[in-house]
Amino acid sequence: MNEIPVGSKARIVTYTQHDSFTERLREFGLTPGTIIRLLRKAPFNGPVEIQFRSSRIVLRPNEVTHMLLERIA
Amino acid sequence: MPSIPDATPSHTPRLTVALVGTPNCGKSTIFNALTGMRQKVGNFPGVTVEPKSGEVHIDKITTRLFDLPGMYSLTPKTPDEALSVAVLHGEHDALPKPDAVVFVMEGTNLEKSLFLYAQFAALNIPTLVAVTMIDGIKASGGVFDDIAMEQALGVPVIGIVGHKGIGLEELREHIALRGFSRPEAAENHIPVGEGIEAQYEWARALAGEVAHTPELDSLTTKLDAVFLHPVIGPIVFLAVMLLFFQSIFAWATPVMDAIEAGFGSLQNLVDATLPAGIAQDLLSRGVIAGVGAVVVFLPQILILTLFITLLEDFGYLARAAFMVDRVMGVFGLQGRSFIPLLSSFACAIPGIMSARIIASEKDRLTTILITPLMTCAARLPVYVLLITAFVPSTMLGGFLSLQGLVLMGLYFLGGMSGLLVAKVFKSTMFQGTKLPFLMELPPYRFPTWRSVFLTLFHRTKQFLTSAGTTILTLSIILWALGEFPKHQAPPAASPIQAASLQLEHSALGTIGKTLEPIFAPIGFDWKVTIGVLGSFAAREVFVSVMGQVYSVDVSESDENLRTVLRSAISLPTALSILVFYVYALQCMSTIAVMKRETGSWKYPALAFGYTLLLAYGASLLVFHCARSLWG
Repeated sequence: MNEIPVGSKARIVTYTQHDSFTERLREFGLTPGTIIRLLRKAPFNGPVEIQFRSSRIVLRPNEVTHMLLERIA
Repeated sequence: MPSIPDATPSHTPRLTVALVGTPNCGKSTIFNALTGMRQKVGNFPGVTVEPKSGEVHIDKITTRLFDLPGMYSLTPKTPDEALSVAVLHGEHDALPKPDAVVFVMEGTNLEKSLFLYAQFAALNIPTLVAVTMIDGIKASGGVFDDIAMEQALGVPVIGIVGHKGIGLEELREHIALRGFSRPEAAENHIPVGEGIEAQYEWARALAGEVAHTPELDSLTTKLDAVFLHPVIGPIVFLAVMLLFFQSIFAWATPVMDAIEAGFGSLQNLVDATLPAGIAQDLLSRGVIAGVGAVVVFLPQILILTLFITLLEDFGYLARAAFMVDRVMGVFGLQGRSFIPLLSSFACAIPGIMSARIIASEKDRLTTILITPLMTCAARLPVYVLLITAFVPSTMLGGFLSLQGLVLMGLYFLGGMSGLLVAKVFKSTMFQGTKLPFLMELPPYRFPTWRSVFLTLFHRTKQFLTSAGTTILTLSIILWALGEFPKHQAPPAASPIQAASLQLEHSALGTIGKTLEPIFAPIGFDWKVTIGVLGSFAAREVFVSVMGQVYSVDVSESDENLRTVLRSAISLPTALSILVFYVYALQCMSTIAVMKRETGSWKYPALAFGYTLLLAYGASLLVFHCARSLWG
């Protein structure tokens, strides 16, 4: 997640671990195959806002270690 | 006398209906529209964390409705989700399993709602689906196919536009006539137990079939470009906060003056009609002065509540949480803690309860422990009294009031100390694995006036109830403690001297004097000590106690009390009192709610202890520094 520049898109390939956090991500609709777009980063290495379908969520990139992403644009 | 049975016994048993849905789906708006003023709000305003209950009356049929906290799935991750799930399973201690459910779906984000429905359908509770914001679907050129949806879900579906009232009458009729059915009636298979991916696949396919919506609403995108802009965003945030604190001072004054004048004339009326004696004294100086001194602060509390409600309903609070997450991270907390902490500026009670949105138990407990350091509205009366008495009403640069800035400084002191305390707790008691930060940014929405009005109405009701019960009782007790035992003043004494001597020899005076040595190092004499002790039940009592100990009719005009205080209290003592109130947890309701929310006396005891220690320490420091500066 840290490597995706603001404004670009990525596809969720899979999750490398199953815990309550990755379960919640999937319940939010971030299922494998979903395309996300990184909308913005908060200043000073803060959280990022990502958009997928009609949702916007914020999370800390260094806490999303088990989501395997593939850049597409 | 035998009791008379109800003249019209109801033959149909009362139905209990729960409102279920994802967070931010518009449930609260529907709840407000259906129940109106007939709500039994669990005493506390703020975010929907305590299930609110209310009644719907249609054709003499009464239905009990309660609003469950929003949830994303039936596998709860936060305490408020756990509450909703427990109720739906009939496993909650206090709330009954609902007979039926009104499942609220967000029209502009159906996927998430339908996903929740796929899990919820397993419970097979009689259900009725209400789809909100169908105008949003139509505005973006989409169509809403309620018939296809009914077939797929197996339950009746009603489209609603909350702020225009469309569909609400139909919804009321359905509830009254029990137009619910069980999800098992669905024509096609609902993937109830097939895993998240299969459930989402079903939800997406169905959402695409029944409503065509654009990916994102453009208003939210445009507004976020400003509110979350790396430079403009923080400036807007600071401006909102500044406006927040300035408005409390500037806008409330005219109304407060009017309330003061009202209580003053009431007191004069009592003095003029009742014969002089204990009854007149009790009513005039005990009841009216005591309650009046507190009711005067209603306008400020309402402005504060209005601000927080508007920001919350509009969707700005979630953005603020996103922006401050980095800062909160420094103190070991997450952006989510910002919402309970900001609510605590109105009152710690809704703050403590809304901490349920925090998934990590350690973060939640830390947040709860520091909520008392956020300056709640009950401290305002104390601050306002002392600031207006001791700080000149200069305008800096012609528009910034110095008094407002001092007030903001006190808020800042409390907030900053709270965060530092959080850091201490997080690196000692509550260290270890933390749950990741994850939050949804809801689309911006214009608050419905009806909903805002209801929040203010309930807040007023709650405040006046407290003024009419707790504060009234305390005022009478304090009045009695100050009046008895009777002291015979020397005949030469003026009435004011007599009143002062009476107080000094009363039970209250004795208590104050006994405890004076404890508070003397921080500059409190026995009179201030009485005020501070009275405040341990509720902070705002300080003002009326000060009025009593200095025998000033507070309700006639605060100006009198200010003049008296200026000559009776030194500036170092005034500063010491202010700092004491910044830290001390002087609120019985907060302690009770903390006990309930944490399930043990350990945390309220800890909070009470550490805040008292901080209060005493900080006052000691401020008093001695100020005394060496200004002698």
